[in-house]
Amino acid sequence: MSNRIYNILFHTHTVSSIVISVALYVIFFAGSFSFFRDEIINWERNQSVDRVDEMSLDFDLAIDSIQSRYALYGRSVTISQPHAERRVNVRLSGTKDTLAVEEAKAARFFYVDTKTYEITDYESSYTLGEFLYRLHFFAQIPYPVGYYLSGFVAFFFLFAIITGVLIHWRKIISSFYVFRPWAKLKTIWTDAHTALGLIGLPFQLVYAVTGTFFMIKLLLLAPVVSLLYDGDKGQLYQELGHTHPSPTLSSQKLTPATDINWFVADANRIWPDFNTTRVHIDNYGDGNMQVRVEGEASTENKLLSHGHVTYLASTKAVLSKKDPLETVYLDTVKSALNSLHFADYAGLSLRLVSFVLGIITCFVILSGVMIWLTARDKKKYEGRKKFNTNVGAIYLGACLGLYPAVALFFCLVKVVPAGLEGRFPLMGNVFFVFWLAYIVYAYVIKDFGRINKHALVLAGGMGVLIPILNGIQTNQWFWRSLPSGHRDSFFVDVLWLVLSAIALVVAFKTKAKAGQQESVPNGRKKTIADKTVMRKTLGERPVLMD
Amino acid sequence: MPANLKYLSSPSQRFAKITAGFLGGYMVSISFHLLLATWLVRESVIITMAFTGFLLWCGLLVLAFMAKRGWVIWGWYLGISLLCSLGVYLAKV
Repeated sequence: MSNRIYNILFHTHTVSSIVISVALYVIFFAGSFSFFRDEIINWERNQSVDRVDEMSLDFDLAIDSIQSRYALYGRSVTISQPHAERRVNVRLSGTKDTLAVEEAKAARFFYVDTKTYEITDYESSYTLGEFLYRLHFFAQIPYPVGYYLSGFVAFFFLFAIITGVLIHWRKIISSFYVFRPWAKLKTIWTDAHTALGLIGLPFQLVYAVTGTFFMIKLLLLAPVVSLLYDGDKGQLYQELGHTHPSPTLSSQKLTPATDINWFVADANRIWPDFNTTRVHIDNYGDGNMQVRVEGEASTENKLLSHGHVTYLASTKAVLSKKDPLETVYLDTVKSALNSLHFADYAGLSLRLVSFVLGIITCFVILSGVMIWLTARDKKKYEGRKKFNTNVGAIYLGACLGLYPAVALFFCLVKVVPAGLEGRFPLMGNVFFVFWLAYIVYAYVIKDFGRINKHALVLAGGMGVLIPILNGIQTNQWFWRSLPSGHRDSFFVDVLWLVLSAIALVVAFKTKAKAGQQESVPNGRKKTIADKTVMRKTLGERPVLMD
Repeated sequence: MPANLKYLSSPSQRFAKITAGFLGGYMVSISFHLLLATWLVRESVIITMAFTGFLLWCGLLVLAFMAKRGWVIWGWYLGISLLCSLGVYLAKV
């Protein structure tokens, strides 16, 4: 690679990465916790959930419960269980019956508990798990700004990955084995950035590509719809198998409305290894009512499988079916997109590995920012030093302050009483205000070592409190929760204990390197002389030319 | 360590490269996939595009930065997207 191209790529890598760094850090940090979204939710609600791939509920009881509140005739009803929670998602379309009251023509979304068959709506079911999951694509910023922002951040992350690999290409193997923890600060950041960047490369590439697609797929689909489908979006979604042509209403009521459990059981009779994931009913209660049972083969037999059977409810005749063990390109690619991103094709261990890789990515982002900062801590850049330090302090404050803010949120969930009016918005505000306050604090102290240390101490301290508060609130202490079957409660408590232990050890064991900005021992206030010496040692340090 | 400024492009060249990579690269990626979709199995190409669409676009963005002259890369990208669009047009009429 010529010097010209090397320097250009280096520059574009630096500029694009610095611009997206904080947003990308938030995406990866919140996203890493989102791998445990369901565990966190079950921990919050203190519910134990059996991990089975099969939906375990009585569909007819659920329909009865729904019918007690909504008139179902002519509607389509979709019951699915995308998460390992005790409740299932229910989506109702508006009825096709033109004579129905207005109320029945509106679409609805809510949850049904699989033990109590109680109905709850989205707002009152909002959880910390859901909040963190949505934070990781900035859903708190009004739509569509947050979605596009996170989508383009993911796109430029892809750009940073490609340019990063090209820059290191010639020495990619040798620099992987280089780690000089006793060398000067700049070298440590560089070594960590390249080595951890390479370890996480496949993981990061997958998340950049799939993440970009999820958030800004409209950029790909809009020209496809307008040029290949003459603007008919519905036709594209049907061809991709996202929606199905909806059968017409016969206008003859079906009495009695047939039992849904029979269809689910029958699908399992056709294929012994079939796990139902979704039941879709068209034209409920009508002569032309159709029941579509969708599911997958168990992952031991086939990864990324998808199958379905569609029945005509009145005669129980099979209208169409697809064997989950049969491989269809479209279905496999579609499932791969989701499974690769959500890491749901294996158990908890896969998500633990993904969590660690996600946190490693956070480290790669931060070490990149640190390279940028230390490389500019030279006499040549003296004029911009104040600006660079301010940017560095705000960046570090925003990134590192997120950790204690998340720990605080976990504490709040167990402290703020459940029935409080406006409970979730209140806790959300406390979270954001704390985070902002930490950024302001970082900006005021401008001492990178202390910004790091104080964030870790705060997060570690609150992290230890989390299992204690959970124990007090639910009496589900972590040494009791596992035997009593509250696996998720145990997992979240122990996760926080481990994370806090690491945070506290790192905070108190890290010694400032000579010349690194860190408070001077003996509690002595930093004098101007100290600062000058520090600047000198930093300034005169020869900078590694890679 | 920061990049050596003597190798970087002038502001007007830089503008040309960024727009070529971002807009031109997008046009090439979309029109190329549309061309494949019209001549091959449509829904398979579209779902594959979920992975390759942004990858190709991003690759072209990187490529645009490597070019010596921004206007030349604009020319290439415009030319390729026009050719692909012609192919799509021929398949549709």
